[in-house]
Amino acid sequence: MNQQTNPKAVTEKRMFRRETTVSVNIEADSSIVWALLTHASDIPRWNSTVVSLTGEIREGGAIELKSTLDEKRVFKLKVKEFVPEKRLVWGDGMGSRVYSLDKKSNGVLFSMSEKIGGPLFPLFAKMIPSFDRSFEQFAADLKKEAETIQGSKK
Amino acid sequence: MTTDKLTPEFETFQGELKSFILRMTASVQDAEDIVQETYIKAHAKLNTFRGESSLKTWVFSIASNLARDLLRSKKRWPETVTDICREESLGNPQFFQEALQIRQTSPQGNFEIKEHIALCFTCVSKSLPLEQQLALLLKEVYGFSMKEIASILNQTEAMVKYYLHTSRSRMIEVFDQRCSLINKQGICHQCTELNGIFNPKQKAQEELVKIEMAKDAENKSKEELFDLRMKILQELDPFESGAAELQLHHLEHNRQVMEKYLGE
Repeated sequence: MNQQTNPKAVTEKRMFRRETTVSVNIEADSSIVWALLTHASDIPRWNSTVVSLTGEIREGGAIELKSTLDEKRVFKLKVKEFVPEKRLVWGDGMGSRVYSLDKKSNGVLFSMSEKIGGPLFPLFAKMIPSFDRSFEQFAADLKKEAETIQGSKK
Repeated sequence: MTTDKLTPEFETFQGELKSFILRMTASVQDAEDIVQETYIKAHAKLNTFRGESSLKTWVFSIASNLARDLLRSKKRWPETVTDICREESLGNPQFFQEALQIRQTSPQGNFEIKEHIALCFTCVSKSLPLEQQLALLLKEVYGFSMKEIASILNQTEAMVKYYLHTSRSRMIEVFDQRCSLINKQGICHQCTELNGIFNPKQKAQEELVKIEMAKDAENKSKEELFDLRMKILQELDPFESGAAELQLHHLEHNRQVMEKYLGE
């Protein structure tokens, strides 16, 4: 897994699944990173990969997400796991997005991965765009915003 | 701290406390009730005050908790609150009759644009999540430090930073999009519109040059304009100003409209 300052996504492709992962060190308190990831209405402000996000990010919560990957499509997702300042998982029948925070001495290691797949995956795999650039941008936006807040004196 | 010292010290910041709760609740009645309840609680719990913070910080913490208890179950207002309330007021001649009556007869019935700017902020800031609104007011209007706000809200300083950064960013964005005083493309002109109704002989432009935020709008950054907006609130006591009765009447109207709009 990459643990870099400048996030670089990695995609692993298999016949029946595809998994994209990105990691980045963030020099900010884990509570700030967690707050940024879980305050749904605020996410489009700092995250340039999200067009809109409605609903509540909490255990069992339902959210509707529009991403720059496909602005015409609304993803209806369920929050499957919600462990404060550690792990957040949301997804649908196609796959799951996992966010994890690992506290470090100077901040937190943020990781995000998404696995999609299933028996019919080979039929539509080519229609699904690459997540790499979007993941890198997401991680870079999160790092920038969290470190700005951490350093704020205002 | 003894009980005989509590009262005179409480009185030194009672006005600030009352305006803070008014700006949280948008209700004179709630502000008065919470200030009274805060005093009673402070009196009853005075033996638990260890002096780890100032008495003012400790009292604001009690008041903030009471405000949170009251507001937690209530819906937040939409950012378009002033548009919605304007539409309602146009269909409510009684509102304008009462307002004009206050304008003509009350010693606190003046209409001043900067007072309306403060009222507008009170309404729009109720669109922020509760904790963010609390943190923003405590820092930007009432001058508490990060550490003091963390103590008042029982949060870490990191979370207070998050609340402040997010709420400031949001409010800067909302006012930049809406307020025609700072952005020519802004869609809201209510303060100058109302000035024309309540002060028909006054030229709005002449009034606006007296307001630093409006006068310097083209030369200042969005951040600086927000700081100037906060300065207006810092300098205004919504209960004591020369426009207090008129503005409180307007605020009460907006609160009632919002309760109806939100089905509360």
